[in-house]
Amino acid sequence: MFQLERLIVQFLLNFVAREDLNAFLRNPQYTATLVGSLIAVSGALLGTFLLLRGMSLTSDAISHTVLLGIVVAFMLMSSILGQKPDLSSVWLIIGAAAAGVATVILTELIYRSGLVKQDAALGLAFPLLFALAVIIVSRFVDDVHLDEDAVMVGEIGVAWANTNSHCLVQAERTADGAHRAKPEYSCDSVTITPNDPRAEFTRQCVNCRRLGISPRDKEAEFTEICANCGDYSPAQAWQAGFTQKEPLLVFWPKSITVMAVMTLLTTIVVVLFYKELKLSTFDPTLAAALGFHPTLLHYGLMVMVSLVAVGAFDAVGSILVVAFFIIPPAAAYLLTDRLPRMLVYSSLIGAAGAYLGYDLARGNLLGLAQISDILAGLNDLFGLDLIEKWDSSISASMVLMIFFFFLAAWIFSPKYGLVSTMIRRSNQRRSFDHQVVLGHIHRHQGRVAESDEVTASTLHRHFRWSPTKMQRVLRQLRARNLVQTEADLVSLTARGETHARMFRQTQLTTETGGE
Amino acid sequence: MSGHNGHDPHEISTAALDIDDLTVAYNSKPAIWDIDLRVPEGVLMAIIGPNGAGKSTLIKAALKLIPRAAGTVQFCGQPYEQVRSLVGYVPQRGSVDWDFPTSVIDVVTMGLYAKLGWFRRPGRQERMLALHALEQVGMQDFAERQISQLSGGQQQRTFLARALVQDARIYLMDEPFAAVDAVTERAIITILHELRARGKTVVVVHHDLQTAKEYFDWVTLLNVEVVASGPLAETFTPKNLRQTYGGRVAYLYDDQSAPATGEE
Repeated sequence: MFQLERLIVQFLLNFVAREDLNAFLRNPQYTATLVGSLIAVSGALLGTFLLLRGMSLTSDAISHTVLLGIVVAFMLMSSILGQKPDLSSVWLIIGAAAAGVATVILTELIYRSGLVKQDAALGLAFPLLFALAVIIVSRFVDDVHLDEDAVMVGEIGVAWANTNSHCLVQAERTADGAHRAKPEYSCDSVTITPNDPRAEFTRQCVNCRRLGISPRDKEAEFTEICANCGDYSPAQAWQAGFTQKEPLLVFWPKSITVMAVMTLLTTIVVVLFYKELKLSTFDPTLAAALGFHPTLLHYGLMVMVSLVAVGAFDAVGSILVVAFFIIPPAAAYLLTDRLPRMLVYSSLIGAAGAYLGYDLARGNLLGLAQISDILAGLNDLFGLDLIEKWDSSISASMVLMIFFFFLAAWIFSPKYGLVSTMIRRSNQRRSFDHQVVLGHIHRHQGRVAESDEVTASTLHRHFRWSPTKMQRVLRQLRARNLVQTEADLVSLTARGETHARMFRQTQLTTETGGE
Repeated sequence: MSGHNGHDPHEISTAALDIDDLTVAYNSKPAIWDIDLRVPEGVLMAIIGPNGAGKSTLIKAALKLIPRAAGTVQFCGQPYEQVRSLVGYVPQRGSVDWDFPTSVIDVVTMGLYAKLGWFRRPGRQERMLALHALEQVGMQDFAERQISQLSGGQQQRTFLARALVQDARIYLMDEPFAAVDAVTERAIITILHELRARGKTVVVVHHDLQTAKEYFDWVTLLNVEVVASGPLAETFTPKNLRQTYGGRVAYLYDDQSAPATGEE
């Protein structure tokens, strides 16, 4: 990971100055939006397939149970290798993926017993694994940056602060064209050993913790230890004053690298296996018959979900992960009926939600208004005593913004939204009313004995309609030049005649349903 | 059958589908029991039997979509894995989610995925083939239609086109006539007859005893075990039917004009 970051940094420095890059990365909004967008894209790509498979909530389960994989891998590494791994270590990621797959397998096993329904099976498996993880964290892994709070909400707002520092050697071009390090900058890392003259020693109580006594107790035993021994990166060495020459540093937020790798991986997988994923999602039976191993694809998808969940988990916590997995695809589903577009739309919705969500958390509503102004306005209007300052959780605000997009799609989607459905229904109802009246007149007109059947003033009784409704329908039909009224008798025009006949032919004789 | 016991590949390949001692069990209760079945090439065969007789199970087990408890299945003398492209499968219409965001032509193109193999995407040629298959089922005007907008009969024809585009030698169809109207049923049976005329073997899970006689030339009567299998004239007898359906069918078939069974 570190090497990869270095490559990215060096690549970027071809285009921007070091100071600008640092300034960009140190801006919490930019980093949060960047990380959020990366999570949004990978979450949306996978979430679309989860949604279409009817397993959206699996992402919820997995994003919790990856914790078990992380802590188990963490413990194994601590005991076997004797070192405390970083949260972005490859082994922790592998552990998380294993936990994700374990969740799905456990759910399958419970479900296959035939005693529990599918959703309940998932609901049984994941709290169990999550609870185990929480117990292990609180019982055995006490000095790690993993607490329940971070698990639930995370903090994308401080993603910018958790960085790797990359030291650059400033090069200058010499006369013969070769690059040579400028002497006034250095990238020396420093190792302080107890023999080093710079080593500082301090006394530490060796039995305090075991006996539960304070260092002032007379039973306390002490040993001399080196307080500042260890390896110092160039940045740390400069900060501690071990080096004289200033290092040139780029502080690169770790989350960006992790999520960039995950997003790249997800994109590659979805693009490469697009056809296979689509087939096994739409028709797993055919996928199996054609030899595409839908089970394998299923678990592959679960591994990807686990990877993204664990990558995102550190930055944003599990709630936002779930929101990125489920809400954007659900919104995109309402906006299009083509799978490729659904993938693109849901990625865009997620990314936009991340960007605007950050603004919202800082009190800026969609760039239209300041929430503090709104609150102040409310205070003025109603004499309320609301606190006007607004500064809320970034993760939660991102979820709100993404949900806002879903709401917009739900109401206004041109094809499936509430508004267009309502308009379409009312149009259908009206056109059906028209057909009923046309059909009735078509059947009865011209027969003297039944002139009552086509009299404008009494027509409503035959349909059990209100007179107003009848008048309205007749007015609309007259306006469309389908009927004419003469001396209170309604008859079809030539156009109405054709219309009524067409309707009988097309709607009443062919197959029903669909369309 | 010549004297030597089936090692000559030419002799084996005379059967399009050869099922030997096939048993499938759900929770140790047999769904189909010790099935022996030979379907010669070029016939249009119905699998007929009451509900729970294992008709769909038989097809799915033949394609290894569900685990077999025992037995072997060969298509043209080969295990299924080696001749996937020779076998076209039409699942039950209700087995998929028709709200899936895709178009009719895309669904039909899925029939070509096996030929494309992993990673390769369908291109212009695949599109032409899919359009041609849609023409065969009279659905060419619906190519770009979202699949949720199709009627039941149109959905069934889309599935049929998806199998046709595979250009297989043997077709296995799970209830293609379920809940379609008379017009679609005629359209489908015309296609099945065309397939037979081109020498294809078609195996259809069928429900309607009445139309079976008219549509098919070969029949397998199934009720967990194979009751009878062979040419329609010899197999589709009142005695065999009574045995397949138990007492229930007696009155149904003694009276030739009686409607189909009361099931479904």
